[in-house]
Amino acid sequence: MLPLSLLRTGQGHQIMVELKNGETYNGILVNCDNWMNINMRTVIRTSKDSDKFWKLQGCYIRGNTIKYITVPDEIIDLVAEEEQKQQQQQQQQLQQQHHHHQDKPMGRGRGSGVGRGRGGNQNDGNMGRGRGGGGGDQQGSYRGGRGGRGGGSDRGGDRGRS
Amino acid sequence: MSTAPKKESILDLQKFLGKGISVKFTGGREVQGILKGYDPLVNITLDQCEEYIRDPQDPLNVTNEKRYLGLVVCRGSSVMMVCPMEGCEEIDNPYLDQVEGATEES
Repeated sequence: MLPLSLLRTGQGHQIMVELKNGETYNGILVNCDNWMNINMRTVIRTSKDSDKFWKLQGCYIRGNTIKYITVPDEIIDLVAEEEQKQQQQQQQQLQQQHHHHQDKPMGRGRGSGVGRGRGGNQNDGNMGRGRGGGGGDQQGSYRGGRGGRGGGSDRGGDRGRS
Repeated sequence: MSTAPKKESILDLQKFLGKGISVKFTGGREVQGILKGYDPLVNITLDQCEEYIRDPQDPLNVTNEKRYLGLVVCRGSSVMMVCPMEGCEEIDNPYLDQVEGATEES
């Protein structure tokens, strides 16, 4: 049970804030943030010596001047409930994320696969037609030429030596 | 360009613009004035600003004497408390009834 989550849960409830200078503020907590800055409404401010009192419509208190805050007892039950809710939400989110992770690679695979397939096919087709066809013919003719030349020279050599 | 959506400040000073607010500082000073501007760090511009003179014996307590400061910029890091002047008044001890009631009950 984190102090700040306790305070967050106390939103809308009557709280009492004592500042480092000894002043106290009684009022309904409207909002608070991660710095424990506090926004209250219908506040009664009490001086350090409890001899003067002021009524304020609302007030904002900087978190780092706070000594302590008292909250109603029932908040503790609410916090437990909220923590359970949050845990459930987190689990749900985790599950959803898990699904997303399963989905994402498939999505990528499909998307990029299609893209590659299209691009590759077009390129391959062009390249295949252009180079592949010509190369095949050239290779065929070279082989034939070599074979003929080689055979001829070898034979010729043999004949010459013998 | 911003990475995360900017969290709105819990203090909405917009609705106090042009109205009188009272500001307490760390150290005990207290001023009031007309809110002219502010920023996310709660730096505050006050016009026609007046400071409450403090009790020389007890600097944490303010008296009803004032001195005029004029246009003032309050540094956010030393702003302790901000409240609207509207609906702000000194009252008698509101807890007396409750205390008496509690003692009567017991």
